[in-house]
Amino acid sequence: MSALGHYLEEEGIASVAIALIRAQAENTRPPRALCVPFELGRPIGPPSDAAFQKRVILAALGLVEAVKQASLIVDFPDDDPREALDLAWSPPSGPAPAEAFEAEMRMLAPLYAQSCTERARSTVGLSGLPPAEFGAYIAAWLRGENPASPIDGMSPLLALRFAIDDLKAYALEAAIAGGARPSSKQLGDWLWNQSACGAAIRALRERLMAGDERQQAVAAFFVPAVRLPG
Amino acid sequence: MRLERLPAAMAKRLAELECPDFKTTPWVEGPSLAERRVAIVSSAGLTVRGDRVFRGRDADYRAIPSTTGPNDLLCSHISINFDRTGFQEDWNVVFPLDRLNELAAEGAIGSVAATHYSFMGATDPVQMADGAKEVAGKLKADNVDAVLLTSV
Repeated sequence: MSALGHYLEEEGIASVAIALIRAQAENTRPPRALCVPFELGRPIGPPSDAAFQKRVILAALGLVEAVKQASLIVDFPDDDPREALDLAWSPPSGPAPAEAFEAEMRMLAPLYAQSCTERARSTVGLSGLPPAEFGAYIAAWLRGENPASPIDGMSPLLALRFAIDDLKAYALEAAIAGGARPSSKQLGDWLWNQSACGAAIRALRERLMAGDERQQAVAAFFVPAVRLPG
Repeated sequence: MRLERLPAAMAKRLAELECPDFKTTPWVEGPSLAERRVAIVSSAGLTVRGDRVFRGRDADYRAIPSTTGPNDLLCSHISINFDRTGFQEDWNVVFPLDRLNELAAEGAIGSVAATHYSFMGATDPVQMADGAKEVAGKLKADNVDAVLLTSV
């Protein structure tokens, strides 16, 4: 950029370079340069801050009024205020965990049915609930509710444990529909790292592990140790 | 840019980038800033939507009329190592045409050029010399007597 200043000035047009890298300006020795401390890609500084941008532009263009010298390189004194974090910003995200989980449950339903037909069996059944019901029970927990136990004679927490056992079986059986033979690692990677079902289980584990001893005792059965962080 | 904030290897490469060795530095004098007609010349690989994008280290340039709107200015710089989110939010971060128009209306500068220009900054500057001279001729024809050079 500073080289363009030489070329334009040789043709009779005054120029001022806004330099993001001072060392390059020093090496090229343009007629005039304003060195700015801003991030690469932001020569004029903060977006959506017209007043600050004008200060930068005027600091640069004002150098055309300086007296003649070999190479005038000046530093702009202020940092980009937009480097500060905006704590009110939240990144875009997909559906809430409960919605994503319920959507995935519905997506998996035909695969689970196909898988059951192909294998003529299912390992789902510890809760005694059909998938739609244990799915709804887990979704209620995900939404932060404290739903009543859907299983006679079983506490809500124990019912959640078995619902999650059924969920894991449901998802993994759906995943093998179609006759392929994925390894256990492939299946585990999908469930725990990519699926909404796995994310739901992890979220519930995290929530209950922050709770009392009973909750922690149940949550300990949600996620295999090899799938826990660290 | 505070180079110490970059990975050491990248900072070293940027600081030690080979630059043309100009033996002398020209200097053009002129009227006060309030009387000058100002153009932007960018090395951000800017191109008006529908015009030819910079496909690599092209040495030529693109013209950007002052009538161009923010929705019609694209950045086709080859480097992926600079922030684009600022430009995405506000084109003035890279191409401060709105600010120049405001400064002209306020009397801080004389006027704004009819046409601005962009090169591709990753190109060897020596190869830009001919294009720069051509641009200088067009700027003089537009009575421009001050250029704001912006890089990314």
